Amino acid sequence: MNFEFSPEDEAFRAEVREFIRANLPAEIACDARRWFNPKVDNYRRWQGILAARGWGAPHWPPEYGGTDWSAIRRHIFMEEIYKADAPDFFWQGTHMLAPVLIAFGSADQKSRFLPKILNGEESWCQGFSEPGAGSDLATLRTAAKLEGDHYIINGQKIWTSDARESDWGFFLVRTDPTVKPQRGLSFIVARMDTPGIRIRPIRTIDGREELNEVFFDNVRVPQAQLVGEPGMGWTYAKYLLDKERTASAFLYFNKRHLQKAKALASEQFAGGVRLIDTPAFSRKVARVEADLLALEWSVLRILAQEKNKYDLNAVVSALKIRGSEMQQRVTELQIDALGPLALRHFERRDATIDDPTWMPGWPELAIGASSLFLFERAATIYGGAREVQKNIIAKLAIGS
Amino acid sequence: MDFSLSEEQQMLSDGAEKFLAAHYSFEQRRALLSSEAGFSEQNWQTFAELGWLALAVPEDAGGLGGSFIDTILIMEAMGRRLVLEPYATTAVLATRVIAQSRNRELRSSLLSQIAQGTCRVALAHGELASRYDMRAVQTCARPEQDGYLIDGVKVMAFDAPSAHKLIVSASIADTNEIALFLLDANTLGVTVRSYPLIDGTRAADVEVAAVRVNRSSLLATGREALEVLDEAIDRLVLARVAEGLGAMEVVLQLATEHLRSRQQFGQPLIRFQALQHRLAEMFVEIQETRSILYRGLAHIEAPAAERRAAVSAAKVVAANAGRIVGEQGIQLHGGVGMTEEYQVGHYFKRLIALEKAFGDVDYHLERLAGSGKGV
Ligand SMILES: Cc1cc2nc3c(=O)[nH]c(=O)nc-3n(C[C@H](O)[C@H](O)[C@H](O)COP(=O)(O)OP(=O)(O)OC[C@H]3O[C@@H](n4cnc5c(N)ncnc54)[C@H](O)[C@@H]3O)c2cc1C
Repeated sequence: MNFEFSPEDEAFRAEVREFIRANLPAEIACDARRWFNPKVDNYRRWQGILAARGWGAPHWPPEYGGTDWSAIRRHIFMEEIYKADAPDFFWQGTHMLAPVLIAFGSADQKSRFLPKILNGEESWCQGFSEPGAGSDLATLRTAAKLEGDHYIINGQKIWTSDARESDWGFFLVRTDPTVKPQRGLSFIVARMDTPGIRIRPIRTIDGREELNEVFFDNVRVPQAQLVGEPGMGWTYAKYLLDKERTASAFLYFNKRHLQKAKALASEQFAGGVRLIDTPAFSRKVARVEADLLALEWSVLRILAQEKNKYDLNAVVSALKIRGSEMQQRVTELQIDALGPLALRHFERRDATIDDPTWMPGWPELAIGASSLFLFERAATIYGGAREVQKNIIAKLAIGS
Repeated sequence: MDFSLSEEQQMLSDGAEKFLAAHYSFEQRRALLSSEAGFSEQNWQTFAELGWLALAVPEDAGGLGGSFIDTILIMEAMGRRLVLEPYATTAVLATRVIAQSRNRELRSSLLSQIAQGTCRVALAHGELASRYDMRAVQTCARPEQDGYLIDGVKVMAFDAPSAHKLIVSASIADTNEIALFLLDANTLGVTVRSYPLIDGTRAADVEVAAVRVNRSSLLATGREALEVLDEAIDRLVLARVAEGLGAMEVVLQLATEHLRSRQQFGQPLIRFQALQHRLAEMFVEIQETRSILYRGLAHIEAPAAERRAAVSAAKVVAANAGRIVGEQGIQLHGGVGMTEEYQVGHYFKRLIALEKAFGDVDYHLERLAGSGKGV
């Protein structure tokens, strides 16, 4: 065993840090730090800046504009991104769709889509879930029927994150209703402004509208927009979900938001003492911190390709369970730090967002803290709900 | 011991259920949420007609002078429907502060207005630096000829936006004493900056800038002011434990119904034993909350030390239960649990609001730990 980053890796870290310092516009960092009302243009601009440096999608193969960085270097890169309050990637395009296109897409699809994902020109949403098909995704019903050289799509998706901000969507659809559920699915992409696609925003308990319903009413999509082979949609979807195995730990997010919780607790006072210096709160922070340190090393063990006697899928499910719980706990710490102030609800259109003089004396980090806390209740639901992850562990690691 | 309700209590409880069932469907509540005031003035008048606003008003001030159990029954019913009217603030907290005041004139005029539904009163006490500490008051009252000059900023004054009058706490200049004043909300120099809270109710930061009041608006001062405030807040906290209990019972009901009707993997989700156990765990929390609420009730008239410990124990158990029940409630619903269109998320938000108001778990744990009044 060797627990050190190599000197080369440390030099790499310094290089990344310096690049971000020199190139991250202050207003974009501010936007990402506040997180609450991100401006899509900022994210696109930052993606373009990274792409120009050759870092727009480090996990892609070099021939598509990626890098040859090791998994550990990609980890270092993400650490530095978050430390500097730089925006994260437009995940659905860069991390979900692109690997599928690279592995299974046609040459045309790759040359049409990948460059614009890379430079931030086009963003994507993921349309898998349906009202009747959540945890039991394989039973989804949105149907695509081939007529001539077009697929005609009818049906409905739900929980589609960022659908209104996206130029394109990738969808799982049923192209063959006669075979076993998993075998009848195909993977297709469509522009979100294709005639017949209608999007209805869903307001969530945090007050934002990131989620959507997407309705398909006789939507005509060229056959050339089907990815890979018909009937292979389930396989591609699994490939996509398996590709970034450590992402579900939300490690960088968790670290950033633990820092914020600490910052808040240093500004709040209880009985004349900084909250962070009270035994009760400092222990609460330490408790979360201990679990976060463990999570970090769980990620590192996977990144360093530890030979593990357990099925990797079970290991990854454990990561997802703990990682999603940590998202809840770090944001919980933030509202715990704020105490009664956490109860204030901020709307994105609030004047306070851009003009904190509206709330003199209030910590700036209070803006949106309760919204994030509320939204993170979903962390144990999306991307394979906690209970389903437990079923996987029970089956693959324990043997039920 | 007898834990069953008296006939009158049962009637009060049933009446509350019945009224709220008719006037507080999820849709009706939604309309209120997005209205200007955030609640219904008409409901408030009905509360007055039903006598709910007079429950805690002593008989000598024209009220019903009922037992605190009556208030608890109303609060539990309100918790089940996530009522938005500022009932607890006016009819429990402010009513109690005023009822305990030795300012005879204010006491009788205000309490009768409260009972009639013509006056809502909010407490403007917390400040940015005070968190939950009752004594940390920087708002200053400088004695003058026949009154005081008050300056300061209050934060998170619950239900202040709709209040006609405010109970404002201030430190008397050059002393360690605290005083409680009654101010008209529209007094010149008083600025009420309103904002919504996560549970749909409203609060405000209240700036009091060089406001002159005369001695007649003094409700209490010195040690007495603190004791009155402490006791009234304890009543409020316990009342809101009952509200949380009502909310939790509905969460369990909603989650159960959802798991019965939601099909995945070719069967209703409730068939999965892992999920049945979740419901069972929620049930345990709710049982324990009701028990600690009753224990709190048994001590609400006890000497301060016992009362405080009992209320803090109730708050700790209820807040912990609220987290567990609320979070599981959403989790068991899956994606729909996250939406504004479904009920369960609104219950979660109310439970969090209850948890963080008037002392969070750490605050009450400390109060309990230091009390020497445990088992
Ligand atoms: C914020 C958010 C963002 C999302 N973004 C997207 C997106 O961009 N694209 C997309 O396609 N989807 C998205 N989803 C959908 C998400 O993947 C689904 O919500 C998830 O798969 C769960 O499905 P469901 O909501 O239908 O819950 P259900 O499947 O109905 O589950 C309800 C409850 O039952 C439990 N349960 C289900 N099956 C079992 C079982 N066999 N054993 C024990 N317990 C079980 C679940 O764990 C859960 O607690 C998003 C969801 C959320 C909340």
